[in-house]
Amino acid sequence: MAMRIPLALFAVIMVAGVLLSLVLPEYHLRLLNLSVISAVAVIGLNFAFGYAGLISLGHAAFVGMGAYGLAILTTRYGWSPWSAMPVAVAATAVFAGLIGFPLLRLKGHYLALATLGLNVSFYIVASNWIALTGGTNGIARIPELHIAGRALSGEREFLWFGLLVLAAVAAVASILHVSRHGRAMIAVRDDEIAAEMTGIDATAVKIAAFVLSAICAAIAGCLFACHMRFIAPEDFSYAHSITYLAMLIVGGESSIAGAILGSVLLTFLPEWLRFLGPAYLVLFGILVLGILVFLPKGIVGLARFTPKPPKLAAPTPVPTPEAGS
Amino acid sequence: MADFIQLLVNGLAIGSVYALAAIGFVIVYSATGVVNFAAGQFVMFGTFAGVAMLVNARLPWPFAYGAALAVMALFGALFFLVVYLPLRRSSVVTIIIGTVAISITMQNAALLTFGSWPFRLPSPVEGKTVALGAAIISTHALAVVGVTATMVAGLWLLFNRTTVGIGMRAVAQDIQAARLMGLKVNRLLALSWVLAALLAGVAGLMLGPMWFADVSMGDPIALKAFAATIIGGFGSLPGAIVGGLLVGLSEVLGASYISSAYKDLISFGIMIVFLLVRPQGVFGEKIQDRG
Amino acid sequence: MNVLEARGISKRYGGLAALSDIDLKVGAGEFVAVIGPNGAGKSTLLNVLTGLVMPDDGQVLLDGRVVTRTATHQRIRAGLGRTFQQGRTFNRLTVLENVMTGAAIRRDLGEAALRRTAMAILEQMGLSAEADEAIGSLSYGRRRMVELSRALACGPRILLLDEPAAGLNSGEVDQLADRLSELRAKHGLAVVLIEHNMSMVMRLAERIMVLNFGCRIAEGAPSAIQADPAVLSAYLGEGYVHAGM
Repeated sequence: MAMRIPLALFAVIMVAGVLLSLVLPEYHLRLLNLSVISAVAVIGLNFAFGYAGLISLGHAAFVGMGAYGLAILTTRYGWSPWSAMPVAVAATAVFAGLIGFPLLRLKGHYLALATLGLNVSFYIVASNWIALTGGTNGIARIPELHIAGRALSGEREFLWFGLLVLAAVAAVASILHVSRHGRAMIAVRDDEIAAEMTGIDATAVKIAAFVLSAICAAIAGCLFACHMRFIAPEDFSYAHSITYLAMLIVGGESSIAGAILGSVLLTFLPEWLRFLGPAYLVLFGILVLGILVFLPKGIVGLARFTPKPPKLAAPTPVPTPEAGS
Repeated sequence: MADFIQLLVNGLAIGSVYALAAIGFVIVYSATGVVNFAAGQFVMFGTFAGVAMLVNARLPWPFAYGAALAVMALFGALFFLVVYLPLRRSSVVTIIIGTVAISITMQNAALLTFGSWPFRLPSPVEGKTVALGAAIISTHALAVVGVTATMVAGLWLLFNRTTVGIGMRAVAQDIQAARLMGLKVNRLLALSWVLAALLAGVAGLMLGPMWFADVSMGDPIALKAFAATIIGGFGSLPGAIVGGLLVGLSEVLGASYISSAYKDLISFGIMIVFLLVRPQGVFGEKIQDRG
Repeated sequence: MNVLEARGISKRYGGLAALSDIDLKVGAGEFVAVIGPNGAGKSTLLNVLTGLVMPDDGQVLLDGRVVTRTATHQRIRAGLGRTFQQGRTFNRLTVLENVMTGAAIRRDLGEAALRRTAMAILEQMGLSAEADEAIGSLSYGRRRMVELSRALACGPRILLLDEPAAGLNSGEVDQLADRLSELRAKHGLAVVLIEHNMSMVMRLAERIMVLNFGCRIAEGAPSAIQADPAVLSAYLGEGYVHAGM
């Protein structure tokens, strides 16, 4: 019974995705591929932020670490992408775990700015450590993925593989969501003190959520590297981190479906608006603002037609217990 | 030694600009709780308001500056109405994303209006220099420091000696109590945004001649302003000043003495160290998470 | 050996002494009430006992082991439990999921076992009908019962309750008192109760400690406390002295 939802999710993603892949023209397939890659990253961000409430504006740095890890191992040391991928993902996970310890003592906008600083630092290092990363010229000629001896060339074939990865990540995420670990993350965000009072080690949960998000990001980064076959520091700037967060919020935070919908919408929306000419980004910003104002629960909020519960005053937060009664 | 003095003055000048941007950011944060990620674009707008009035409309200096600042004040009020009011009950993250979204709109609106080529915004003391021993100091840089100091003094007077300013501080401390005291809270909140926009405008007008006026200049400035507020102490005005000066100095001195490529890393490095070791910054209160 | 012990706990906030040299001993299955006017230091004491606040002086012991600097979640695992004045629930989880979060303290239980354990507790507390409800749809009194159920799901040997009757109507207060009696009888649960509701305190407490301005001004059996002049003068004028006595 517990496997019902994850399996259904897996099936829907694969079926919908494959149908679209057969119907859409090449240019839209390219966008769909980018959406799928983003969706993998944003599902990861959902763990960190949607469940555990960690405002991470450095997510793109983890995507970049996965991408650069794979790119360096394949182009410089001749590894195959399949062996480089787990190493790059593991290295990113370890890094996330290590910086998680000092970083996750911060909360709210302090954490937001700390992760922003981290992303900017990543960008600066990637742009200037030319010996390792090629600097702003990036790394080119990243090898394609081969499955059973056959290269995944072209948008359609890569899309099928990308969908498989997305479906798998989404299924795993939804299994976690309904497990004690998912509930612990949600509890920590809802009320960290109450969570501690329920025997939950809030710090450990936050670090776990952070590492999980880094793993998903790194997987997305590897996909990106193998798909684009060329990466540069600006692919992982803090602007991308903000985009991932916007995708999650617009789609609906704490929701895997929301993560996917938001990724697709915010990848396609600038293209749909392109007919407006140079003004399209102006409108894009206004539209996103509009969604935030009118759909505070994101797009998935539209689907939830539950009657509004009576408005409860939120319990006044007691972040630091004070001298009182 | 002469080099060092020149660098010091330049660092203080850039730092003053960052300080003004940071002060605007802190005013808005203290009064409304909003972490305004469009703070950098406000400064960019200030610079380009100057470009529009000085370069395009060719107004004489006092009128140009006055008109530019008037435009900024109007923009601040508009921002309050269109961005702050609809989002004021939303979560921290939603507001962050909202201000980022508008930041994209602002940057691209400027791009549409002015194009992507950088402009040259002249200064009233263009090209003039002052000799301090063997050091040649740009008069503009000195003027920037002077103007900033004056504005900081003006702000002190505003917040400590005027009813309006004290009202703004009241709103910043406890909005409910302020309401109960009969203060016109919405008006004071709008005023906070207008004030922040004006400060950013001044910053932009002074920064323009030191750099180039470029529609993409907003983001780097925002990052420096954030670093400044973290280092100085998040809700603190003196902190914003100290933080801004520190960031400006570390950038200019770091570029010369350590590495030009990694100069930005130095200010972020300092910011991260502060976040890890002393998140309340130099002056700030020990609150880690505002409401 | 006492289940919970506080020895010489002191806590200052700037110039204010929130707690001054407080001792408290609770044996297995004992029911102790802590009363006192607002600002007396009662919640601060609970915060020190549960590890949310570090005392300036003194020790906290759980089953004879010093836990003064131990992390909160580890104390909960060692058998301590606590509810809050505001009723802190996880608002994005359902009622059942809230209680399952407590039951998950047992790492060996699988998902189905967690569900069963949680449902059993909800049935005991009379909440099984609302098991799948969102927290937001519950009344304040019911929400506090959910919080209590969650605390019980952690299997505590001693429960610290911070004004559990606040905001409840008299029917709910009686229900709560009945439940607490049952739990003590069934599981040998020790309780430290902070309360202003004197009828509840008099009904359930074996021993009462009275705090005022961070100091212990009296401790003893309920009847003795009722007559204690120091206690009466601390409460003078507030009218609580006469309620239900």
